[in-house]
This record gives sequence, C-alpha cells and structure tokens, in this order.
Amino acid sequence: MLNVDLLINGLIIGLFYALMAVGLTLIFGILRVINFAHGEFYMVGAYTYTFAALKLGTGPWFALPLAFAAGALVGWLAERTLMRPLYTGYTSWGLMRDEYSVVVTFALSLLLINLVDKVVGPYSQRGPALVDIPRMALGPIMLSGQKLVATAVAAAMIAGLALFIRYSSWGRQIRAVAQNRLGASLAGIDTTRASSLVFTLSGALAALSGALLAPIINASPDVGAFPAIKSYVIVVLGGMGSMPGSVVASLMLGVLESFGAVYISYDYRDTFGLVILMLVLIFRPQGLFGEKGREV
Amino acid sequence: MNRSQHRITTEFWWSLAFLAAIALVPLAVSNPYWLGVLIVSMYFALLAVGWNLLAGYTGQFSLAPACFAMIGAYTTGLLAYHLKVAPWLGIPAAIFVAAVIGMTLGRIVMRLRGPYLALTTLSFAEIMRLVIGNSYEFTRGDLGLNVPGLFEARLAYYYLFLAVLVAVQAGLYVLMRSKAGLYLQAIRDDEVAAASRGVDVVFWKTAAFTLSAAASGLAGALYGHFSQLVSPELGLLLQTGLVICMVVIGGIGSLIGPLVGAFLVYVSSEMLREVGGIQLIVFSLLVIIFARFFREGLWGLAKRVLQRRTA
Repeated sequence: MLNVDLLINGLIIGLFYALMAVGLTLIFGILRVINFAHGEFYMVGAYTYTFAALKLGTGPWFALPLAFAAGALVGWLAERTLMRPLYTGYTSWGLMRDEYSVVVTFALSLLLINLVDKVVGPYSQRGPALVDIPRMALGPIMLSGQKLVATAVAAAMIAGLALFIRYSSWGRQIRAVAQNRLGASLAGIDTTRASSLVFTLSGALAALSGALLAPIINASPDVGAFPAIKSYVIVVLGGMGSMPGSVVASLMLGVLESFGAVYISYDYRDTFGLVILMLVLIFRPQGLFGEKGREV
Repeated sequence: MNRSQHRITTEFWWSLAFLAAIALVPLAVSNPYWLGVLIVSMYFALLAVGWNLLAGYTGQFSLAPACFAMIGAYTTGLLAYHLKVAPWLGIPAAIFVAAVIGMTLGRIVMRLRGPYLALTTLSFAEIMRLVIGNSYEFTRGDLGLNVPGLFEARLAYYYLFLAVLVAVQAGLYVLMRSKAGLYLQAIRDDEVAAASRGVDVVFWKTAAFTLSAAASGLAGALYGHFSQLVSPELGLLLQTGLVICMVVIGGIGSLIGPLVGAFLVYVSSEMLREVGGIQLIVFSLLVIIFARFFREGLWGLAKRVLQRRTA
C-alpha cells in the first residue's frame, strides 16, 4: 500500500517537474542554450499568484492566469534584451557564444532573486489554495484537494502545449527552427519570432507551476533554485531538446525521488537526480531517449 | 617578444603595481573591520584568478570554483578537527586534495562543452555541498567546523594573503608567458584546430582544471583559518556567482582584470550593504551590461582610454 502511495505521489510531483522542464527543453531545442534563470520564472509566478490573490483580492482562480501572464512577460523580456544578440549576427564574440548565455542567464537569476528580496522581503509567503478540500484518502492514497486540482491543471497545460507544438502553425514553426535554424529561415519562417515565442511560453509555464505549487511550497526569493535544478536534470535525462523525452524523464525523476527518499536515504534525496545528471552527461550525452549522435 | 607576451607582461606589471598599492593600505587604514574586508577581497581575488585561468584563458566555463574553495577549507578543517593536524600541514594537504579532485573532474568532463560543461560542474558542486552539509557525524553539517587560527594579528593575515596572491599571480604570469599559455589559449579559441596543430588538448585541459582547483583550494584553506569557521556556505552557488561577477566586470581573459574586479566588487559590496543590501542587484546588472556590451570588462575599457592617449 505504501508503494502505491509513493508511486502516485511520485507521478504527481513528476507532473509538476514536467511543467517546469518542458519550457527549458523548448529553449534548449531552439537556441542550444541553458537558461539558468528558469527557476526565477517559477519564483515570479509564485509571487504574482500569492500577491494577486491575497493583496489585490482577485481570488485564486483569477490570480492563476495573472501569474501565467507575468511569467510570459518576463520570458519575453529576457529573450528580447539578452538572448537576441545570440542569433542576430554577432560574429566577433570576445566572450564565446555558449559562455555568453551562461554568464548572462546566471546574472539574470541573481538579479531577479535579489530584486524580489529587496522589494518584497526575504520572508516566505504562503499562497492561498485553489479549492478548500482537506486531505482525504482515495483508496490507499492520501491527497489534498489542492494537490488534486493543481495536478489536473498541470496535466491539462502539458497536453495543451503538446497539441499546440504538434498541430498549430506556430508549433510547426518552432519544431522547424529546432530541427534546422538556417533551413527554417530559408523556408520563410521568422526564426526570431519563433525564439521569442519559445521564451515567452517557457516563462509562462514555469510561472504557472510556481503559482500552482505556491500553496504547497511557500514563495520566497530563492524558491526557484530547487525546481530549476530538477529541470536541468530532466532536460539532460530526456535528451536535450526532446519534449516527450523530458515529460517521461520528469515522471521518472518524481517516482525515483519518492521511492529513494523512503528506501535509500531521506537526507540525500536531492542528490539522486544530480548524480544521474552527471552520469548521463558523461556516458550518454544524447539522453536516455535522445536522438542518436547529437553533437555534444 | 611577440604581441601576446607583450600584452601579458604589461598586464602583469600593472597588477603588481596594484598589489603594491594594496600593500600600503594598512599604513592609512587601521580599522580591523576594513582590513577584514580587504582580506576577504584577497580570498575572492585568489578564486577569481584561478577561475580566470580555466574560463578566461582555457575557455572552460566551470561553475565549481566556490566548491573547490569549500573542499580546500574542509580538508584542512577536518584534519585539524579530527586529527589535530597543524595548519602548515593542513594547507598543503588542502591544495593537494583540491588539485586531485579538480584533475579528476577535469578528466571526467573532458568531452563536454558550453552548457553541458556548466551543468555537469554545477551538479558536481551541488552534490559536494549537499554531501558535506548532510554528513553530520563527520563534518557537523550546517553547523560548521571550528578551525584554529594562524595568527593573533589581523595584519599578519593581511600580508599572508597578499604574499600568496603575489605568488599565484607571478606563477600565472610565468605560465601564460610560456608555450603553455599559448596552448591554453589555442584550446579556448578552437579546440579542434589546436589539436590538429599538435597541442595535447587532453593534457592541457586537465592541467588547467587541476591548477585552477589547486588555487581555489588554497584560497579556501586560508580563508578557513582566517575566519576560524568552515561551513558548507562556502560552496554556495551564490559564491560562484560572485566570482563570475568579479571576473566579468574586471575583464575576463586578462591577468589584471579579475584581480581588480575582485577588490572592486567586494569592497563596494561592503559599502553598498550599508546603503541597504542592494549590492547584488547592482553587480548582476553590471555583469549583464558588461557581458552584453563591453566584453573585455573594465580592463578593456581602461586599455582603450590608455591607447587613445598614446595614439
């Protein structure tokens, strides 16, 4: 019975990881950079949700789309101001291209954390629950109403994103740019707009997961570090840039952590994923489900 | 003397002049608080110089400099705490342990570039920090270890750090003026081309990782004996972020930039702390602006001004 509970809870956690990680995966797929400020998009969402619901009194269901919009705005701004020189013809890089993105996104992360810390304060804030249903037993599983609803929203968003990427015209353009940037631009696709769209989406999704988890994990300036590190692990595990891969990897990581915390060691639960990340990068850099022969 | 050697020599003499000025500061400042600030600046300068060798000269963007400082500090700290080993043995041991771990990490990440390298070294740093923070029985976890000091007087620490900094800087100068410096920079500019011209890429990349880790380990060990407390906080990613800020603002890939950057960032961060804790906001903004528009940092800007004067 314990095992069923662990499995289901692991899958639920994995679903939230997936909501974070797909954005990072999309960015990597299209720009070949890791966004080290991804966790701060999550943090922006958690704060927007909490403040809109509590201080502005909009109610949690209206605060959710607000958080989504705030994340989209931050993502869009980050791409517009910091990422655009990567692909608009800067040929003479003193600092190299890959390193520029590491330095700049790392600095953006520091900036957002400390800005929020200064403006809002370092104290953690609990977001209000979406629904007021206490913890209950569903067969062998203990679940709170909040967790159930948040899970449903997360699952719906991931399914919606998958459909968007698969069938919509913009989604096709994103996939084309991810496959071959030059080829896509020759075929008349606006690659700059596609990159901008990906950053906006990525920020929005990370912010949404921050908002959904705000009643469970209190919002604080550095709350994003933990989900961000999970997303790095997932993106690497799922094959850098592969969306289905990253969803499967998220669920696997969630389950692994929930079992590992009970059966291996609770204190070291956060190191499992990192060890896997190092092993995968060293021995199987294309990821568990990645394309064969992806350049490292 | 070719142009690259000429450039490095100029940078070296400027950095010695800068350090000479630092040596004279205690004549004017006797406030122990500000001497402490300068000592911590020198700790960061050691980290910045070590990271610059790896990132600026060899092109390997590791996110683990603070982690190696933590490893160095814990080596001498644990030796002193459990075995009562004296610092003059503990500090060389710290350099050795950090160098060996750095060499191993360098070999492991040999084939990785750019974002992959950054992610692997980041995970390595986080794993080390979590392991040290959670091994309560051995390391006392987040409580930290009490470590014996070296001297009574702050001034003695001040000149010890300064002497070490001068020695490291001189060592780096000799290294970068030799063929090794050209090999490292060739690897940074184009690894495949360097290999095709006969540069032993595996050896020199490993060497850069090892030396950089050794410098960080030394810095961490000295800092541990200075603050007399060693805790996992030394290895926080934020500390690595600070080191990156210092190098990028000062001027990455130059001998003097990281050094000046470290002093500038740390001293002004102490001043800004009094204004109300906005130091990290200012620095991260500056890093973004420098990385985006002035990729050669403050030293690059200073050089441009100097050249315009002479031209």
